[in-house]
Amino acid sequence: MSVAASHSRTSYILDKLQSLSGVIPIGAFLAEHFWSNSYALVSAKSYDNVSSELQLIPWRIFVESTVLWLPLLFHSFYGLYIWWMGKSNVLGHPWMSNWLFTLQRVTGIIAFAFIAWHVYTERFVGRGMTAYADVQASMMNPWFVTFYLIGIAAASFHLGNGLWNFACKWGIAVSVKAQRAAGWFGAAVAVSFTLMGVAIVLGLHYGKFPLGGYVQ
Amino acid sequence: MPEKTFIVRIKRQQRPDESVHWEEYELRYRPYMNVIICLRDIAEHPFTRDGKESSPVTYDANCLEEICGACAMLVNGQPRQACTALVDELEKPIRLEPLTKFPLVRDLQVDRSSMFENLKRTKCWIPIDGTYDIGPGPRMSPETQEVGYTLSQCISCGNCLEICPKVNENSHFVGAAIVSQVRLFNMHPTGKMHAGPRLDALMGPGGIEDCDNAQNCVKVCPKGIPLTESLAAVNGQVLRHAVKSFVFGK
Repeated sequence: MSVAASHSRTSYILDKLQSLSGVIPIGAFLAEHFWSNSYALVSAKSYDNVSSELQLIPWRIFVESTVLWLPLLFHSFYGLYIWWMGKSNVLGHPWMSNWLFTLQRVTGIIAFAFIAWHVYTERFVGRGMTAYADVQASMMNPWFVTFYLIGIAAASFHLGNGLWNFACKWGIAVSVKAQRAAGWFGAAVAVSFTLMGVAIVLGLHYGKFPLGGYVQ
Repeated sequence: MPEKTFIVRIKRQQRPDESVHWEEYELRYRPYMNVIICLRDIAEHPFTRDGKESSPVTYDANCLEEICGACAMLVNGQPRQACTALVDELEKPIRLEPLTKFPLVRDLQVDRSSMFENLKRTKCWIPIDGTYDIGPGPRMSPETQEVGYTLSQCISCGNCLEICPKVNENSHFVGAAIVSQVRLFNMHPTGKMHAGPRLDALMGPGGIEDCDNAQNCVKVCPKGIPLTESLAAVNGQVLRHAVKSFVFGK
């Protein structure tokens, strides 16, 4: 327990970047990702259109690596370092915020494992050329569905709780009231993202288009 | 009628490098006892429950009214001041252990001097004189006084460090108490003039960035200091200071 005599700012900057990268671009990407995949609930055709449009964005490799791969790798591996630095004591002291702290650690690990597998299967094995029919076929596997549901819930919780933590860590929410408000905002994000993700997965699993009412 | 008694279990260790053992004492109950009285009873008659002779338990204590911070220890697993841990309110047998986040001296006594060292490193004082009398400082608004008074009640007991999941052998987080003191001295109109060096000190390894908001600290603070607000407030100060000094230089 000591603050170092040397005033090296490296660890401060890395920690701040870890916190920031979780919101922008990773959190923003998660929102975009759920949005694009929600087209699976509209129609197979619109899903395929969105998918091919995303595959045709200009500077794709450059955009993917700066907006996705590098921030994700940094957030994950520096996150593992932060995980190693903490030691949960929630069993002896089961307070709400202590549970959230512990769950943030656990969901981070789950989301990391899920995203690694998800990227491997969809981006590298599937070459990012996803079409509705392929995704739907893979969603017939109950193990796939289970892993997706767990991964989605973990990532959504991690983002929602992370937004609350971000508000505290960046001095945005200082008073107890403001921190509570940020907590409710984070909870709303976690719940709505989870529900959206679950709807997409189940929609694919059952091949249903509940949002397809406007399709001519 | 037999005397009413209760059991106290104490984790004992003669020296930091010696093995740990637990001892059980059966003490005579009187109303309004606190944990310090228990330890004094044992010192008067250091015989364990099964009649073996032992030695008085080493512990730190001073004011006995929760304003010095010295008697912090784990009472039934919770970090708190032994002087305000009342026997009537505690689950029996009462379990006493030393704080685990500080170097052990003996029995229930730990060396909490790292807190003082960190107060020095973060320059938690207000320079009131130079080589000559620099005169009275600016006045403080009643609002600032009110917040400052609450923060000034910190007794450096170390409970907030003990309960923090980010203070352990892998991480050297300075802890909520120190951060809260930085907030106190940075809000003082004269102390404000040295806000930069204090914030610089909190930017290094073990600084404020290690806090991940488990927010346990505020639950065990015997003085009810709004530590989570202090952490967020100083987080904002450090960030603004970092950006300002990067963009505009010192």
